[in-house]
Amino acid sequence: MSNLDDYRIEARNWLASMAGMFGCEARHGLSHEDDLALGREYMRARHDAGFSGINWPVEFGGQGLSHIEKVVFETEEMQFGMPVGYFGISLGMPVPILMRYGLGENGEHLPWVKERVLRALRGEEIWCQLFSEPAGGSDLAGLRTRAETDGNGWRLNGQKLWTSWAQYSDYGVIIARTDPTVAKHNGLTYFWVDMKAAGVEVRPIKLAGGDSHVNEVFFDDVRLEDSQRMSPVGGGFAVAMATLMIERYVATDSGGFGPHLDLFIDLMRRLEVNERPALGDGRVRSAIARNHAMRAGLDSITTRAMLMLQAGMEPGPEGALNKLVSVRSRQKLSELAIDLMGADGLQFDPSASQKQDWGSSWINSPTGRIAGGADEMLLNTIAERILGLPQDHRPDKGVAFNQIPA
Amino acid sequence: MSILYDEGQEAIANESARILEARVNKARQLELLEMVGEYDETFWHTAVEQGWTALAIGEEYGGLGLGLVELGLVAQAAGAIISGAPFLTSGYGVAHAIETLGTDEIRANWLPGLAAGQFRAAVCFAENNSPLPMRPLVSSSEDRLSGRKPAVTGGIKADLALVYASIDGGPALVLAPLDATRRTAVASFDNSRLFADIDFDGTPCHLLVSGEDARRLALDVLARMAVVTAHEQVGGAQTLLTTARDYALTRKAFGQPIGAFQSVKHRIAELYGQLEIARANCINAASKAGQEGFLVAAADARLSATEAYDTAARDCVQIHGGIGVTWEQGLHLHMRRTRSLASEQGNMLFWEDLLVDELTGVAA
Repeated sequence: MSNLDDYRIEARNWLASMAGMFGCEARHGLSHEDDLALGREYMRARHDAGFSGINWPVEFGGQGLSHIEKVVFETEEMQFGMPVGYFGISLGMPVPILMRYGLGENGEHLPWVKERVLRALRGEEIWCQLFSEPAGGSDLAGLRTRAETDGNGWRLNGQKLWTSWAQYSDYGVIIARTDPTVAKHNGLTYFWVDMKAAGVEVRPIKLAGGDSHVNEVFFDDVRLEDSQRMSPVGGGFAVAMATLMIERYVATDSGGFGPHLDLFIDLMRRLEVNERPALGDGRVRSAIARNHAMRAGLDSITTRAMLMLQAGMEPGPEGALNKLVSVRSRQKLSELAIDLMGADGLQFDPSASQKQDWGSSWINSPTGRIAGGADEMLLNTIAERILGLPQDHRPDKGVAFNQIPA
Repeated sequence: MSILYDEGQEAIANESARILEARVNKARQLELLEMVGEYDETFWHTAVEQGWTALAIGEEYGGLGLGLVELGLVAQAAGAIISGAPFLTSGYGVAHAIETLGTDEIRANWLPGLAAGQFRAAVCFAENNSPLPMRPLVSSSEDRLSGRKPAVTGGIKADLALVYASIDGGPALVLAPLDATRRTAVASFDNSRLFADIDFDGTPCHLLVSGEDARRLALDVLARMAVVTAHEQVGGAQTLLTTARDYALTRKAFGQPIGAFQSVKHRIAELYGQLEIARANCINAASKAGQEGFLVAAADARLSATEAYDTAARDCVQIHGGIGVTWEQGLHLHMRRTRSLASEQGNMLFWEDLLVDELTGVAA
C-alpha cells in the first residue's frame, strides 16, 4: 500500500518536473509535426526516467513491475496533458503483441524484436494497428484485405480504415484474409508490415472536429515475407482478439476523457439561467448531481479493481462499464455546457483540449462512442459475456466467407 | 477510497441471503399488501434471531459493534427478497442517535432492548413532502411533544421514535415512546411498511439535542439510513435484473429467446450498468460513515440506487409482458417497494439538492 503511494508520489513529482517542457501549455499552438517531435523527446525522457514499459520485462527495456504501477503512472500522467497520444496505440497493443507472437518459432527474431521494442519505448519508432476496414469494424472478421501466397512469402492487397497514427508509423500489425473459402473467422492470418514498404499508401482522414489522426491505408501488391507472419495460417483471429485483450487494465477516466465535473461546476458559478444564478437552477443542479453520482460510482469501481489487483485477485467484469457510461454522459454534459454558455458557447477552437474545452469535448464525443468498441457492441458484450444472454442472430455463421451475400 | 469486503463481511452477505431466500413466502407477501397495519413477522423474527438488530450497536449495550458496511450487506439481502418490515433501517437510525447523543441512562434504557429486538423504533423527520423540514410543525419542550408526523414508516408498530421537532424557534431531536400517542394507519400500496400518522399531544419525550447541531445530526442520521436503504434498493435491483435475464433466456417469441433481441438484451445490459454503479457507490458510502465526505458519498449512493431500482422494476415488468402485471406473478411487490423506498429517507430532488449544496456551497 505505502509502496504504491510512494510510487505515485515519485511519478507525480517526475511528471510535475517535466510539465513545463512537455505539458498542455508547452504544446499549445504547436503544429502536429512539432508536437510529435516534442512527443518523441518526452518518450525518450520518460524511458530514461524509468517510467516506460512499466509492466514489461526488463530484458525488453521495460521496468518489470506490475500493471498496478502502470495504471498508477498513466492515471497521474493523464492530468498533465503530455504528448503521448501518438504512442498510445503503438505501446498499448502492437508492440506487446510483437513481444508475444513475433519472436519466431525458435526465438530467431528475438534480437530484431528487442530493437523494435526499445525504439518504440523511446518514441523513435511508432507501430499502428491495421484492423478495421470499410467492411469490417464492429464485425472485424468481415474484413476483405487479402494476403495470397507468393513463392515462400505473401502478397497483400486491400484497404484498411480508421488506422490511428498510420501517417507517422514505421510498422504495423495487420490481419488479412488468407482463405475466403472457409467461415469468416477461420480464414484470417496475422502479420506485421513495414509501413515504408513499396505499395503502402497512407491517406489521412479529416474528422468532424477538424483533426486527422486517423487514416485509410491502401496495400497494392505489398510483399510480405513468411517470417512476418505472427499467427498460424488461418489462426489470425485469435491473435487479433489477444491484441484487443492484452491491455486489460488501463487508466480510466470517469469523465469520459472530457472535462472534469469541477469544470462544469466552475462554469455554472459564472453563468446565469434566465438571469438568475445557474447554480440555483434545479435543472442545472440535477445535471450536476446525476453526473456526480454516476462518476463517483465508476471511480469506486476503479478503486475496487485496483484494490483487487493489489490483493492478487481478478477485478470484476463491471470495469467494462467505464467507457460506455462515461463517454455518452460526457457528450450530453458538453451539449448542456455549450447551450448554457450562450454567445460564448458558439466560439470554437479546433486545437483546444477535449479535457478542458466544452466545444472540443462535444464535437469529439461521437468518436469516443464508436472507437475501441461502439456503445452497441459494448452492450452486446455485457449482455452476452457477463449476463449470459444469447448472441444476436447471425446469418453468416458457419458460412464460407465467399458465400456470404455482400 | 472504497473498500473490498473482508471474509467476515462476505460471510454476513452470504448467510443473510441464504436464510432470507429460504424463508421468503411470496403468498404471504401478497396477502400482506391488502392488510393495513400488518407486517411479515417471520422476517422480523429472523432479523432478531440472526442478530441483525444488534449488528451496528456497541458491544457494551449488547450489540455486535459492527457498522454500516455490515448492516448494508444485510439490507441488500433483505431488499433482494423485499423485506417484510422496515425496522432494520429505522432501528439503526434511532440507535445511532441514542449512542451519539444520549445520556448513560438513555442508552442503558433503550439500546439493549433495540439490540435484542425487544423494541421497534421509528424515525419521524418528514412533514408533508419535506424529508427534513426547515421549521418542523411538531414542537417540543424539554419533556413534552406536540403535533402530527404524517405517514411515518413503521409508525403503527413502533415502540419508540426519534423525532425532528421545533424548540424555541430552532430544530431539535427528541426521543419519544409511542405507547401514549394516537396513531392512524395509512392505507398504502405497500402496507407492510406500516405507515402511520402519529399525533403527539403533550407526549412525554426526552430532548437529545437542539439548535444547529440538531439539524447536522439529523442529516447524518438521515444519510446513514439512506445508505442502508440504498443497499436495500441494490438488493431489489439485483433480484429484478436476474429475474429479467432468466425470463429473457426462457421466453421465446418469433422463434428465438427474447433475450436475443437487442431491444431486450441491451435494456438488461443497461440495467446492469446502473446496478453496478449503485453497488459501487453503496460500498463506498458505507465505508465512509463518520468520515469527511460521507454526505456526498451517501447522496451518490442514494441517487444511483434509487435510479437503479426504479429502472429495474420498470424494465423487468416490461420484459415480462402481460404476465409481468399479474397479481400472482408478484413483480408488483418490487414495483410497490420502489416507490416506498424512493420516498423514505427523502426523494431524489432532496438528495440532488443536498449533494449540490455539499459540492458547491450554493443552496438551492
